[in-house]
Amino acid sequence: MKEDTPLLRQVHPSFIQDGRVSSQAFRPTPKDDKKLSVYDGHAIAAADAYEHYTKSLNQSSVGVMAVTCQECAQLELEAKDDPLEDFPEHAVIDFSPYGTNATEKKAKILRKRAEERDWLFSNTGT
Amino acid sequence: MERVPFLKPRMAGSRFDDHAIPLDMLKELAVLEEMIVEVAKWHYLNDHPNRERSPRGFTKGISVKLIAVDDGSAMPDMSLFVDQRQLIAPANQGYFERARDSIVDAIEAAAQEAEIKKHLPESLLGYFDKLGRGLRSDEFIDFAPEAIGRSAKLNQTTRRALRFASTQLQELTEEVSLRGVIPEVDQAKLKFEMETIGGQRISGPIPMQHFDTIVKAFNGYRDGLRVSIQGVALYNRNGQLKSMEEVEHVSLLDERDVGARIDELRLLKHGWLDGKFGKALDSDQLNWLEGRLDSYLSDPLPSPYLYPTAEGGVQLEWSICGYEITLDVNLADKSGHLHALHMPTEQETESRVSLATDSGWEEVTGLLEKFNGERL
Repeated sequence: MKEDTPLLRQVHPSFIQDGRVSSQAFRPTPKDDKKLSVYDGHAIAAADAYEHYTKSLNQSSVGVMAVTCQECAQLELEAKDDPLEDFPEHAVIDFSPYGTNATEKKAKILRKRAEERDWLFSNTGT
Repeated sequence: MERVPFLKPRMAGSRFDDHAIPLDMLKELAVLEEMIVEVAKWHYLNDHPNRERSPRGFTKGISVKLIAVDDGSAMPDMSLFVDQRQLIAPANQGYFERARDSIVDAIEAAAQEAEIKKHLPESLLGYFDKLGRGLRSDEFIDFAPEAIGRSAKLNQTTRRALRFASTQLQELTEEVSLRGVIPEVDQAKLKFEMETIGGQRISGPIPMQHFDTIVKAFNGYRDGLRVSIQGVALYNRNGQLKSMEEVEHVSLLDERDVGARIDELRLLKHGWLDGKFGKALDSDQLNWLEGRLDSYLSDPLPSPYLYPTAEGGVQLEWSICGYEITLDVNLADKSGHLHALHMPTEQETESRVSLATDSGWEEVTGLLEKFNGERL
């Protein structure tokens, strides 16, 4: 992936309140083995990623936000391809070297970068 | 008038800690008097099976009055006032005392999971729909506080048992606070329809003093304007909400109303995150959080955003004056992890706090006030 590759992140409906997205949307949950799942934005468009996530994977999302590989690198977070069967665009942002506070700090910065970039796709239609 | 000591129950719970009784609870005592009169008549008719009704003037010249509120949390001291000039007085005084004893015995039976109907008939158990309705989950009224070896505590558990002992009681009432939107108003019939945050539609009466607020909520329906309605709601025996019976307070809610958001979090089911992970949040624990936030995080501090965590907790978040602040609340053990990041400098502040204590919340509010003060 290149520096400017957008890493597309689906936002769960419970992680948004009055338009504000939680920092939890940008850090792994306990089930994620410290790796945050994203889509490689150079391999799939935001709208298609949303379609895949909600239809093929049958998961809930209100839309797609993004950070770039460069923004991850600035936070010393490794972003890498992690293709799965029938899901070649899958990638991860690796938080595994970091503890609770460092993870929270990085998630807050990623949330801010994504918020400044605004939604790449939302299910109200943009 | 002769004054006879009659009943001195103990009302316990945080609202009674100052040895005082909230005015709201005095209506419980009024219901108690009404119940005593009807139970006294029932005893009379049991003793006189040939009579269809109690004698005229059965309740004349006798009344139950509150003469004092004693310490311990609060003990309303009630006496029987008997007019000695009434010819019938000595007899009906006895029936009033037997009525009191039957009521206390029924409550004790409910507490011991014993036979309730041995003490009161089904029809009169209906009084427990009103008596004790205003008690909160941490409160009770002990009707035999000074009797050694007895436990006649009326709380929401025993009240439920007393009401369910009556098969005649098909509809039950509870004091509620509901949040939602108002999609319909019938101004001619003075009725409204409310859609609760959980999606249920119920109707209720519009008291004139709340007419303007309810119409405002109706006009704001398309913009998602939410309202909080407190009053008395009607349920069936399965616990299904049927309608609002009385409306006591109505308030328009802010977009970021914490209580409304907590109601949304209550709706999450196990597996909410991805079908497998995401623990449902415990409703009682959310009540605790709502109470704490109401006490500690009111104006001028900005309202937090609230998000569920996969572990069944709540993460509170604020964006204040360049700070991104999170308080990760573990509802089960009432602990929290506060993390604040000053975005321009990336300077961090971090603290683990016990939210079971006032000092823990004071530490949180102190930090928020400090960050918020930097706005000035």
